[in-house]
Amino acid sequence: MADATVIKPDLDFVKGIIASGGESLKKCYQCATCSVVCNVTPDNKPFPRKEMVWAQWGLKEKFIGNPDVWLCHQCNDCTVYCPRGAKPGEVLGAIRKQSIQQYSAPGFMTRLVNNKKFVPILFLFPAVLFAIVLSAAGTFHIPGGEIVFSKFFSVHLIDPIFAAAFFFGIGVGILGITKFWRDMCQACRNDSIPSGVTTGDLKGSIIETIKEILSHNKFKDCVVSRDRYLAHFLVFYSFIALGITTALAVFYLYILKIESPYSLITPLKLIGNIGAIALFVGINLMVINRFKNAGKVGIGSYFDWLLIFIIYVIVVSGILSELTRLADIAGLAYPIYFIHLVFVFSLFLYLPYSKLAHLFYRTTAICYAKYSKRQ
Amino acid sequence: MEKKIGVYICTDCEIGSSLDIDKLTKVAIKQKASVVKTHPSLCQKEGVEFIKRDMAQEGVNAVIIAACSSRVNYDVFNLGIPLVERVNLREGVVWTHTPNDEDTQMMAEDYIRMGILKMQKMEAPEPYKVENLSKNVLVVGGGLAGITAANEAAKAGYDVFLIEKNDSLGGWMTKIYKQAPTKPPYTDMEEPFINNLIKEIQQNPKIKIYTSSLIEKIEGSPGIYDVTVKQNGNLETFRAGAIVEAAGTVPYDATKIIHLGFGKYPNVVTNYMMEDMTLKGTIVRPSDGKPVKSVAFIQCAGQRDENHLPYCSATCCVESLKQAKYIRLQDPDSKAYIFYRDMRTPGHYEYFYKSMQNDAGVFLTKGDVIGITEDENKNLAIEVENTLLGEKIRVNADLVVLATGMVPVTALGEEILPPGVKPGDEFIPYVMIETDILNLVYRQGGEVPVLVNGYPDSNFICFPYETRRTGIYAAGSVRAPMDISSTIIDATGAALKAIQCIELTARGEALHPRVGDISYVDIFMQKCTQCKRCTEECPFGAINEDEKANPLYNPTRCRRCAICMGACPERIMSFKNYSVDMIGNMVKNIEVPEEEEEKPRAIVFVCENDAYPALDMAGLHRLSYNPFIRVVPLRCIGSMNLVWVADALSKGIDGILLLGCQYGEDYQCHMATGSHLAKIRLSKVAETLDRLKLESGRVQMTQVSISEYHKIPQILDEFMEKLKGFGPNPYKGF
Repeated sequence: MADATVIKPDLDFVKGIIASGGESLKKCYQCATCSVVCNVTPDNKPFPRKEMVWAQWGLKEKFIGNPDVWLCHQCNDCTVYCPRGAKPGEVLGAIRKQSIQQYSAPGFMTRLVNNKKFVPILFLFPAVLFAIVLSAAGTFHIPGGEIVFSKFFSVHLIDPIFAAAFFFGIGVGILGITKFWRDMCQACRNDSIPSGVTTGDLKGSIIETIKEILSHNKFKDCVVSRDRYLAHFLVFYSFIALGITTALAVFYLYILKIESPYSLITPLKLIGNIGAIALFVGINLMVINRFKNAGKVGIGSYFDWLLIFIIYVIVVSGILSELTRLADIAGLAYPIYFIHLVFVFSLFLYLPYSKLAHLFYRTTAICYAKYSKRQ
Repeated sequence: MEKKIGVYICTDCEIGSSLDIDKLTKVAIKQKASVVKTHPSLCQKEGVEFIKRDMAQEGVNAVIIAACSSRVNYDVFNLGIPLVERVNLREGVVWTHTPNDEDTQMMAEDYIRMGILKMQKMEAPEPYKVENLSKNVLVVGGGLAGITAANEAAKAGYDVFLIEKNDSLGGWMTKIYKQAPTKPPYTDMEEPFINNLIKEIQQNPKIKIYTSSLIEKIEGSPGIYDVTVKQNGNLETFRAGAIVEAAGTVPYDATKIIHLGFGKYPNVVTNYMMEDMTLKGTIVRPSDGKPVKSVAFIQCAGQRDENHLPYCSATCCVESLKQAKYIRLQDPDSKAYIFYRDMRTPGHYEYFYKSMQNDAGVFLTKGDVIGITEDENKNLAIEVENTLLGEKIRVNADLVVLATGMVPVTALGEEILPPGVKPGDEFIPYVMIETDILNLVYRQGGEVPVLVNGYPDSNFICFPYETRRTGIYAAGSVRAPMDISSTIIDATGAALKAIQCIELTARGEALHPRVGDISYVDIFMQKCTQCKRCTEECPFGAINEDEKANPLYNPTRCRRCAICMGACPERIMSFKNYSVDMIGNMVKNIEVPEEEEEKPRAIVFVCENDAYPALDMAGLHRLSYNPFIRVVPLRCIGSMNLVWVADALSKGIDGILLLGCQYGEDYQCHMATGSHLAKIRLSKVAETLDRLKLESGRVQMTQVSISEYHKIPQILDEFMEKLKGFGPNPYKGF
């Protein structure tokens, strides 16, 4: 009996997936229609069929170092064609959440972020933090005169606080993907995911991965949710634009020593505003697509909607704070700006625990797949 | 009374426009028909009146209707007299042959001639009525099937005797904790309803229940079964009209399933033991009495396996899902593994399957269980390969439940073959397993012949609910593996068949498939040579034997197939309206053209049950076939007597083709063995042909089913082509 794998189902793992959006998990009867219709999966040992049975059987360890759940882009073609209503797309989404929980330390943060009950805490924490900081700085009131946000929340306060949150998020993410990479190598040696031999060309793999992400080509393989291509494309590139804006702001402030507000025709403002509009359009398209396909693939889990919500508030509050500032309505501009900062801070802080963590794990999984010739 | 034959030729449906009706009329007159008339549409009210007027005014008492097939308008042409014969000019002649053609005309003339000859040989049959007929139903077995059959028969107004060998009623149904869902939403287990049913029949004065009883013997035949029952050493005899055999099943002997460790490891139990354990309280490990935390169910244990039961017992998948629910309800943290080969949850059970599948603690996979091992604490490890998990796996469990199958009690005995038949023979007319259930006093053995795997079934396509013994209907899991709902339907059906049998027998009529036929066999005993062919070949065991091997015919067991008539070398088995002489006479009077005319003739003996309708359907589809054949319908191809071959060939007929039902393992013969017997008889025809110095290829048999009508023209053409190769029969013109 040497070569038989000892199977010890983890009932709690099954219940966990069921609780976090994979309630249809047990309906699967392994016909493999999902793997057949999936355009994104590698041909060798394709997903999501095998993931479905592992999850049904509570085989938690099978998902340690499994790049496949992250290679899935949740096109939901599988869910549409599933004859049993098992929604493999949703189930893999739930498994990814388990994976985030496993890799992004501390694990309870993901549970916190993912639990509806704790939603007030998520946003009250930064709000209270800011209130304390601003009260200490003596600026926790609406300033008079021309609207200059720095008068309310000094950039010299913002930068350390936000940089801390941002680098915390990034740091946790990097720790997570390091562990993930190690597990994938281990799993590869154990041959639970076929990956053949590694190319040994990590740099090449990284470049290929970046090319793939920038091109967004994988999204074009989706059939049912093909519209997601444009939405995700817009959101993705607007994030890059807003990242550039932030970098320029740092440059203006600390190198050129020019303080905000800046003229609308400076490159910083141009890029920032175009990014904001693209983000607004993109996030709205995402919401519209979700409602449009809800009948076929489900509306999505709380986990999905939390990220959409944060981004939505960020873009709307960002645009509104700029407009109210330009319209010189101080009574609205400062409170809206406060909300904007709360949500931006949340985005950074919860980056490795929310659905946004996919930018770490999916990127790493794609890179590993290329590195290990997963085909 | 003098027979006065009237021939009525219909000219509707293209008959009048395709044939020379005057010439047909002349043929009929020449053949000594008293009245010969034509009518534009016989099946209309005026047409029927037209015939009836002649019956009243001219004294016509034997009517030949030369129109459409006997398979249509039989109700229209029910003239209230026994002697009505149909000549098939429509489907058999004009719809299948070139109109106004010499060959078509000759065919129609032959059929008219044959119809009149047949009528001349026909006598009016009188129904056979038994004295002291009983309308009571005997039900053997007091489980769900028996109780249901008894209940249904009693509800229909019939008295019932219910025999149960145990001291209480209910059978397996009383030994289960809960029953699988039988009603919407089909997701919840139910309290077994058997106790209510038992109460119901115990209170029914029409049902007499014998518990702790066995059947000593059953003599007689449908309507007049004399049943002797032994209860606590006392014998009691009563009469019954028909029998429902609902004797049930026993579990397969799990000790035979060695590789799954039953009997070796204490914590390996069967599904039956699991029910018992749950019924008694807690599901525990037999080794130490500790409550069970994990159970592995192994499906198809000793089933669908050539070394054990080759079949599927139909219920185990659902039963294991149900038992998985037992364990999941007992402990919410427990795990139930089910290793299956195919999850078979037909019909509404799919909902139950889905609901159980949705339980997080139920783990299902297809797979082949290779073996089970036990550790020092009596924990079990089950090794499974070919799983859905894509690898060979090992699972630990506190308890293993083997889903063992059911064995009909009719299979629990020694298999005996008919005298002179060896295992592996090409033709085994029936297989009897000697058990102690019915103890029939039949020449062919005391029980009902089994079909496969010891089930006393017949071929279900042609005999729903039926065994190969007239008046005995197997029901429930003794007939085929089945679940609760199917058993209820099956037992109800069997009860209705029993009632049907009783009522038809009371009227002296035949049962399926010749329902309503009142003819029966007359045996001309003076010429009997005690050869036993009839008693051995009757597919229904209708003929017993006395000590001198004389046949003792039981008309109410008889299905009127006339296989005995085909079998008898002395030709002493005859019906009033169907005899060797009658068919022989028809065959001998087919007009055979001179050799120079190059118009060959072949006789096609056609089974009335499948092949004849196929010919009719060829007609309905206007398929054209060879005009040189002459169709002679037979009750069953097994009633074909070899003397007809000699009759035909010595008259110059070029060849003979038999169209019968499929025989062999998956036989479709409505009379079970008729077509196979015909085939065997044909193999012995070579002798006759040798005597006549003719090629044996002139006589052949083809199997055809009702749906194969489109093959008819080809079959006939190919046969005629083959005959051409032999050249004309040299006996032409003698």
